[in-house]
Amino acid sequence: MRKRVQVATVLCLLAAGAVVTAAPALAAGPERYLHVKVEDASKGESVNVNVPLSMAEKILPTINNHDLHNGRVTFHHAEMNGIDVRALLDAVRTAPDNEFVTVKEKDADVRVAKANGNIVIHVVDKEKKDQTVDVTVPMKIVDALLSTAKDDELDVAAALHALSDAGDVLLVTVQDASQKVRVWVDSRNTQE
Amino acid sequence: MILLGKIVLGMAGTAVAGVGLLCSEGFVQVKVIEKQPQGHHINVIAPALLGPIAAHFVPRRDLANASEKIQPYLPTIRVALGSLREADDVVFVEVTEPDQHVRVSKSGGSIVVDVDDPGETVHVSTPIRAIEGTVEQLAAASPDPH
Repeated sequence: MRKRVQVATVLCLLAAGAVVTAAPALAAGPERYLHVKVEDASKGESVNVNVPLSMAEKILPTINNHDLHNGRVTFHHAEMNGIDVRALLDAVRTAPDNEFVTVKEKDADVRVAKANGNIVIHVVDKEKKDQTVDVTVPMKIVDALLSTAKDDELDVAAALHALSDAGDVLLVTVQDASQKVRVWVDSRNTQE
Repeated sequence: MILLGKIVLGMAGTAVAGVGLLCSEGFVQVKVIEKQPQGHHINVIAPALLGPIAAHFVPRRDLANASEKIQPYLPTIRVALGSLREADDVVFVEVTEPDQHVRVSKSGGSIVVDVDDPGETVHVSTPIRAIEGTVEQLAAASPDPH
């Protein structure tokens, strides 16, 4: 009987130790990765890039170069042809799901919409062998970009942080006759 | 006789401790295999601690130029190496071409670079802690360290 109590005590201690050890990891959640995959079937070439988002989040604020400082990008109104980017993004953020822009031309189709909490951009370039570009940006990312107090700044570090909380998301796909580009976020450290 | 035994034991202990210390940072491995019929096969495995130690003994004036150039990037390098150390094992970059394959990955505390091309196969593995040690030695060599 006494031996059973001792065994039970040891098992309880081991379980408690395991919980204490695993708690920080569970609290932090699984690591999330930004993946980029470029494939050129005609040349048999491919480039795969996998970046842990937590790493990017830590490194970005340390880079101070040109318009990037402390994880924030400063844009100059003169370069935006008078367009107030923050006001534009804010207007999209607060608008209900809708198709904002639809352009159909001889050489290109463009569609910009808001759907299911995402900004969706779809471009078909008919001049480049029907190259299609799809961009999906979760509104959480837009909110994070606009979270700085300054009007001429976008908070890229906050956007990266929001991206790590946004779940699995396919951000960009570009496809033409031979090339395919994909940018996405998930919790796997490989592209398989 | 007992005294001699103690001396031998002391020397052996010191040697084991020295080897243990030297190996504590892991090993740097450089492996090059030339694919020609008479090609060289080179495989060098050295204690990673030799890197920072070597950097420590290089005269400071010889490192001053490199050290000054690295100063602006030190915060980024330090954060990058720290987060690399904490990161899970992952393949950061993989480039595949019909006749070439390049892979940069983190594996078990080391940065591993593998290149396979028609001429040769190259494998380089360096412990991150050794890179950090060498960078810090380089940073300390600046006449005006930040």
